[in-house]
Amino acid sequence: MSINRRQFMQGAFAAGVAGTAGLLGSGSAFSAVHNPVGEAQAELFGKFKGNVVLLPSKYGGYVQAMDLSVPETLAWYSYGLHGIDMPIPHHIAAMPSADPYKGFDFYQTMQPPASPYVNENSPEWRNRGDFKMFKMRYDGSGKQNSISVVNDIGETTGMSLGVHVSIGVGENANKYVAFADGQKDMVLITDLGDNPKIVKAFRADYDPVARQLNISHIFPDATTGKFDYVGRKGMKTTHEAMLGEELMPADPTAVFVDAFTWHPTLPFGAILIRRLGCCAIIDTRTWEVVALLSTAKGSPDNFPMVKQTGFTWTFAVPSVLTPLHEAGFITSGEYFVACNNVLQNNIAVYRSTDENPNKWKKETFVEGFGTKYLPLHMGNVPDSRFVYFTMWARKPNNGYICKVDAKTWQVVAKWDTGPDPHTCDCTVDGKYMTTVYSGHQAGQSGLVVINVETDKIEARLPCPGGMHDHVVVPESWEGLKFSRSTSV
Amino acid sequence: MRSTCTFMSLASLLALPVGAALADSKDGTFPTAEQVGGQVYIDPVAVGRKMPTDFDTYDMDGQKIDLGNVVQGKRSMVVFFISAVPVSVNELAAIEDFTQKHGKGVNLVFVNADTVGSALMGGPKAVIPNSVKTMHYIKKEKGLKTTKIYVAPNDALSAESVSTRLGIRGLPTSFLLDDKGVVQKVFVGPQKWKKGDI
Repeated sequence: MSINRRQFMQGAFAAGVAGTAGLLGSGSAFSAVHNPVGEAQAELFGKFKGNVVLLPSKYGGYVQAMDLSVPETLAWYSYGLHGIDMPIPHHIAAMPSADPYKGFDFYQTMQPPASPYVNENSPEWRNRGDFKMFKMRYDGSGKQNSISVVNDIGETTGMSLGVHVSIGVGENANKYVAFADGQKDMVLITDLGDNPKIVKAFRADYDPVARQLNISHIFPDATTGKFDYVGRKGMKTTHEAMLGEELMPADPTAVFVDAFTWHPTLPFGAILIRRLGCCAIIDTRTWEVVALLSTAKGSPDNFPMVKQTGFTWTFAVPSVLTPLHEAGFITSGEYFVACNNVLQNNIAVYRSTDENPNKWKKETFVEGFGTKYLPLHMGNVPDSRFVYFTMWARKPNNGYICKVDAKTWQVVAKWDTGPDPHTCDCTVDGKYMTTVYSGHQAGQSGLVVINVETDKIEARLPCPGGMHDHVVVPESWEGLKFSRSTSV
Repeated sequence: MRSTCTFMSLASLLALPVGAALADSKDGTFPTAEQVGGQVYIDPVAVGRKMPTDFDTYDMDGQKIDLGNVVQGKRSMVVFFISAVPVSVNELAAIEDFTQKHGKGVNLVFVNADTVGSALMGGPKAVIPNSVKTMHYIKKEKGLKTTKIYVAPNDALSAESVSTRLGIRGLPTSFLLDDKGVVQKVFVGPQKWKKGDI
């Protein structure tokens, strides 16, 4: 988002005469950002100038925008203010902004707090929380920074999804945002407007008897223009499956859709399907399902399409050797990598440059993680030299972050950053990798900053509230290619 | 019927150690594929084989029971469900109605193959009481007449788990057993029940 003239003038007016004068060239602060010059930490954190990090607090129910260079919280918003009992801010993606200190938009998803192993699904909690997607706006143009809700996208579209959100790049830049959910096995694509319009929606269902996967376009009601999947409607399972719960008995049709990731150069996106260890490749020009990659070691590169009936694509899935979690493209688009986990702990590496995704082949696997550490999230760098992965572990193990060389596909460094590590996201200059850990949603938690060149941990900051995700606000559409778009 | 509170108090006093669907293992190890059936989707116990019943099972009082005794000597329909999956809970009333009409003499048994959470309320000691309490909610909300409703804690990542031993990944899964506990039919998922099915 860029601040338009009207907002600019409103901000200027709110800031008063002095603020306006500053804006016009006196050099005084335009927005409410602390100047740490002279403070002891200034030298340490000053090198992170330009990086605003969004941190949703899964169990605090709020989101904060943090200036990593001070460091300080620029603004925060409690989703309880939107009337939600026990909000669980889950995943997040930020739109590019040339000056994030002045303003940017971001998207936030939310899910009900019904996971028995991280929070609660006891009877008293069955109706607490909600599925939500919000378009949010940070405004740093006045004396008081603020974060506000621009649109309750679930209410607007009639479909509420609670897991990953990712913004289109490359051929899909400045057009689309995708939301996904594994309790409903749905994906929604909307435009980027303040009053978002439905572009396309998908639903995935497994037939355990025929051993087939059906991926269908689903359509809003013709009279209302909306879906009927607000709140818990359409939910197959009352809580999102934790890692390992892909083996949990569930709705027979459940496949645990997790995210939609965007190819940075070709007109494709991938629907990540955890329980089947598969990724459905979508042609974003037509929104047709064109391939189903099977990412496990020992399985074919893809499973065949059996038939297409109207807007349903049926694929044979004769066996599932392992679930997966996240999968996405490296910044250049040369490779598509998939985090196989639970029954196999490895990372499949497909070459993803062919314009026919059915020709994408697994070239190698990153291996050697044993049976305690599960590849989970991935983080990109601008020049595609490395890919960072979160290796999640159950208690009593911490898990760790590892850095993989994208030429040799070998692990070249790793860090035990803390218990329960989650997402990785690169700073806008590509020099540092940020990552959060959440202490199994209760204990030690923080944000760690790793130097990409030296592998040194440069900083560690406290993050109360169980940060399950975070994102550095990208500075451009090119910058979004190594943010919440190509990977999650 | 005694009140739920009575059940809860009794069960709480028992403070039974239990497994959960994704319990923390001793060292955090995840199973290999070979340990849990070779892949994600495994086949249910086949027709002609005896259905295992020697796993921990609790009744609506939170008391440990022997599921083998419940099905012994009776032609039984054992329905495994999970409170976290609406379609499996909704199927209970349909099966009950169908069995009453077309399954004369069939011993109908519902088993919740899971436990509910207690991470923030009560800790591990509350797992069985909370799960039992949820069964009472379901029985009341769905208007079930069946009294044989049980809780079987399931660590899905264990080679010895209920789900691995029974080969269940989709719920409901219903096993029609003869009076010796041998599987006669298996029904995966909700069914359009028709005369002759049981």
